[in-house]
Amino acid sequence: MYVYRIMLFLVFGGYLLSPLLMSGWSSPGVAWYRPFVIWGVLIALTLWLEQKRKLDER
Amino acid sequence: MSASLASVFALGTGYLLVLFLCALAVERGWISLRITRHPAVYTLALGVYASAWAIYGSLELAASAGYGYLAYYLGVAGAFLLAPVLLVPIQRMTRTYQLASLSDLFAFRFRSRWVGTLITVISLLAVLPLLALQVQTLGDAIFLMTGGAASPALLALAFCALIALLTMLFGARHSRLHARHDTLLAVIAFGSVVKLGAMLTLGAIALFGVFDGPASLQTWLDGPGQAYQASVVQPDPAHWRTLLLLFFAAALLMPHIFHITFAETLSRHTLLQASWSLPLFLLLMALPVPLILWAGQYLGSDETIGAAYLAFGLSDAFWVQGLAFIAGLAATSGTMVIIALALSGMILNHVLLVAHPPDAQHNLYRWLRWLRRALIAAVILGGWLFYRTVGVHHDLTPLGLSAFVGMAQCLPGLMALLYWPGANRKGMVAGLSVGTLIWLVGMWLPLLTGMAPLIVIPPGLEGLAGEPDWYVVTLVSLSANILVFILVSLATRTSDGERAAAEACSVDAVIRPKRLPLVATTGADFKHHLAPVLGDEVAEREVERALADLGLSPLDGRPYALRRLRDRIQANLSGLMGPSVAQDIVDRQLPYRRGGQEPTDDIQFVENRLEAYRSRLTGLARELDGLRRYHRRILTRLPVGLCAFGVDDELLMWNDALAELSGIDGGSVIGARRDGLPAPWGELLGRMLAEQHDHLYKQPVALEGGTRYLTLHRAELKADDDIRGGTVILIEDHSEMKWLEDELVHAARLASIGQLAAGVAHEIGNPITGISSLAQNLRYDTDDPQVLETAAQIQQLTDRVSRIVGSLVGFAHGGRHVGGTRFAPVSLAAVTDEALHLIQLARSGEDVEYHNLCPPELEAVGDAQRLQQVMINLLSNARDASHPGGLIVIDAAPDGDMLRVTVTDEGHGLDPHVREHLFEPFTTTKPPGEGTGLGLPLVYSIIAEHHGRIEFDSPPPGHECGTRISLWLPTARQDGEDTDEPNSDR
Repeated sequence: MYVYRIMLFLVFGGYLLSPLLMSGWSSPGVAWYRPFVIWGVLIALTLWLEQKRKLDER
Repeated sequence: MSASLASVFALGTGYLLVLFLCALAVERGWISLRITRHPAVYTLALGVYASAWAIYGSLELAASAGYGYLAYYLGVAGAFLLAPVLLVPIQRMTRTYQLASLSDLFAFRFRSRWVGTLITVISLLAVLPLLALQVQTLGDAIFLMTGGAASPALLALAFCALIALLTMLFGARHSRLHARHDTLLAVIAFGSVVKLGAMLTLGAIALFGVFDGPASLQTWLDGPGQAYQASVVQPDPAHWRTLLLLFFAAALLMPHIFHITFAETLSRHTLLQASWSLPLFLLLMALPVPLILWAGQYLGSDETIGAAYLAFGLSDAFWVQGLAFIAGLAATSGTMVIIALALSGMILNHVLLVAHPPDAQHNLYRWLRWLRRALIAAVILGGWLFYRTVGVHHDLTPLGLSAFVGMAQCLPGLMALLYWPGANRKGMVAGLSVGTLIWLVGMWLPLLTGMAPLIVIPPGLEGLAGEPDWYVVTLVSLSANILVFILVSLATRTSDGERAAAEACSVDAVIRPKRLPLVATTGADFKHHLAPVLGDEVAEREVERALADLGLSPLDGRPYALRRLRDRIQANLSGLMGPSVAQDIVDRQLPYRRGGQEPTDDIQFVENRLEAYRSRLTGLARELDGLRRYHRRILTRLPVGLCAFGVDDELLMWNDALAELSGIDGGSVIGARRDGLPAPWGELLGRMLAEQHDHLYKQPVALEGGTRYLTLHRAELKADDDIRGGTVILIEDHSEMKWLEDELVHAARLASIGQLAAGVAHEIGNPITGISSLAQNLRYDTDDPQVLETAAQIQQLTDRVSRIVGSLVGFAHGGRHVGGTRFAPVSLAAVTDEALHLIQLARSGEDVEYHNLCPPELEAVGDAQRLQQVMINLLSNARDASHPGGLIVIDAAPDGDMLRVTVTDEGHGLDPHVREHLFEPFTTTKPPGEGTGLGLPLVYSIIAEHHGRIEFDSPPPGHECGTRISLWLPTARQDGEDTDEPNSDR
């Protein structure tokens, strides 16, 4: 269940802090692909949590 | 940029034709199920979320709001990240209760058909702008490609007709909405692959065709591109969060997403896998958007074709524009197919069937199927009409936002459904109505009529003035919705039905249905009850289907099984006609029996649910469940039989020991009433329940292996506020103890008989000696050979009587012969002849034939008299068992250092029950008065004295009937034997 808690934390934390990310992405000099890299990292994290959950349920 | 109308038509029709072929290939099984049921297909089918908005609308939003366009993708990605806590509980409910749409879910939870109707109407109103958006992008794309030469509306209508045909052909095959449509899922997944491929290709063209790669793009962005970036207005934090919330809600509420996520029967594992694979798909879909936008700005084509359609300006080549067109068509067709499918089901179940409940139609399935097909066509036509009358006057963003804000009104209801059991129907309807009204006058009606939005900003929120309309409407409508919902729910009473449904829906609660008896008594009886409403054929099929789902027999009359069957039929009918109609039918046709005892909780059902959902329990609940399982295991594995009854005499527990003792599996009787238990248990346990005392000792019970003696102990469970009442019964098998007691009594009786026999022998001895002397005298008094023969026989018989009496006494004294043993070589042929001679004196068995095949030269060492006694007893038994005309064969043959003698008859054989006790005293199969039950024990005793052994075969190998007794006697003198004189009688 702690996996779910991490997810809740990530999603709601991300929801509240996302405007900060937005302003960061739009700053001049920032690589255009940065938002996608961050998004990709988030997906990788979810994949890791999902694998962990599967192991927990075995 | 001017392709001919024919080429655009051919391109679009060609793509739709490929979809038809794809559907046909899946339908006919040309594509392996391993592929069509792969989790990746499901993820791609969920890609239906990336509608025409993702292809064109995102470009429009990115042009004005920069990275703000990502809200569309991140909102839904967030919802899927929360799949374990948000989507899986909803999936569990929709699968358990066969709920195929948001309307079904709300109607089920808030126990009202009108709630379902309200949700359906709101969904229809909200989705119309989204449908119009799809058609509009189609029309605009055709307009752009043909350079304005064609009438895009008519061509769009033709494409809509083809999409409707595809949906009707492959999406409405099943009458049941809640069924896996492999064909449709595969088609939607194929569409997702096409649009993803097209978008990635367009992105690559922008990056490497227009720019010279990432470095070149970055250089442009840091240089001339700055001017374009300056015109972008990044959404402020509040707007951004609201957008995220809207798209998050869309992932849960939009009819097409809900349909793919929950109505298609997929496993929990597949849904959880989508928590990362769908965001990955959306990332790949979102990635090309800014590339295409910047390439369009770089090429300066923004001004001429509008930001939404910049992909068409990347190149003049037909294939590039065709790619942009196909990307849009793939997104549009997928979205329209699923929206039409989902909405048609909602309208059918919550508007048409509620207004006109089905009667006993001859073919209900066919009727429902055609009704759905008509509704699919109507929904798609409605979308096209909305586009023609409303859509053409607006950009994509207001159309899309209007749809998303409208559907978001259902979000408070959905959250309450999962997490607030206290929410009730009145609160939900009041909140939803207020929120929807604000949305209608603030966004939807202005869209439809062009009137100015009517937005009332509540006191205290004056700061909202000047904010965009969509933002103010979203904030005010959702706030009012939630506030009214909470206040009305708290102020009004929640009905019992709603409370039960709330428990069924709540994430943390466990359903506690009541244990009520049904009027119908068997599964087969259900058909008769349902036939007046569903018709004979449909009633039979639905009952058979539910029985097959549960693995029950139609004749199963257990109240527990019948309640499960009723629930399953209701769930299945819900998939067919929606939960409201299904509940009406089941309540009316399969009612509970009223009166009698106060119903109690169906703890069997609760336990089964707990077992099924164990992996989802956490924290204290998991610990408690662990304890529950431990205690249950103690009871189940208890080495003493245990069963428990509820206050209504329904069997709640039947542990392993009792299952072993009774030969009845617990699963087949748990949930049955006491009087419905198989014999003799129903009567025995009924006697125990009715007994004044709490114990019944050594009750004889006829079971399969013979009579057993059971001791029963009872304990009453007094009902309390929190504790259910009932009775628990312990059943001990005391058969072994009873048999030991009987043997003890038997041994005592034998000892008495021994003493008696000794006395009788003494008393009989004197007259027998007298008779023998008289016979001896007779031999001297006459020369008549006949009389002499008779006298000799009298002497022999008196000798035999003396020996019988002596044997009886010997047996009673531990088998020792009173006269001592006199071992000498004995001819078995002679002994047998003499025995035959003696038993042939008796009148019975005269018609039985004897064959003495013993070779005269074969001799065993033994007491001739005692061995003759053995043969007499064996031959007498064989004779008594033989049928008239039967044959008895006596044979002997050496067997090592033993002599094997066999007596074989063709009689009725040995009773199986007697075999185990054959050599025990007083075991006989003869009628009373004819057999003492001492013959064979005596034989056994004598053979044992001779150091021989005895065996029997019944029937003998190679025979169909009869018995063979085999004796093994030593051919040489054994150590320790008496060395008396050889037998003088021989």
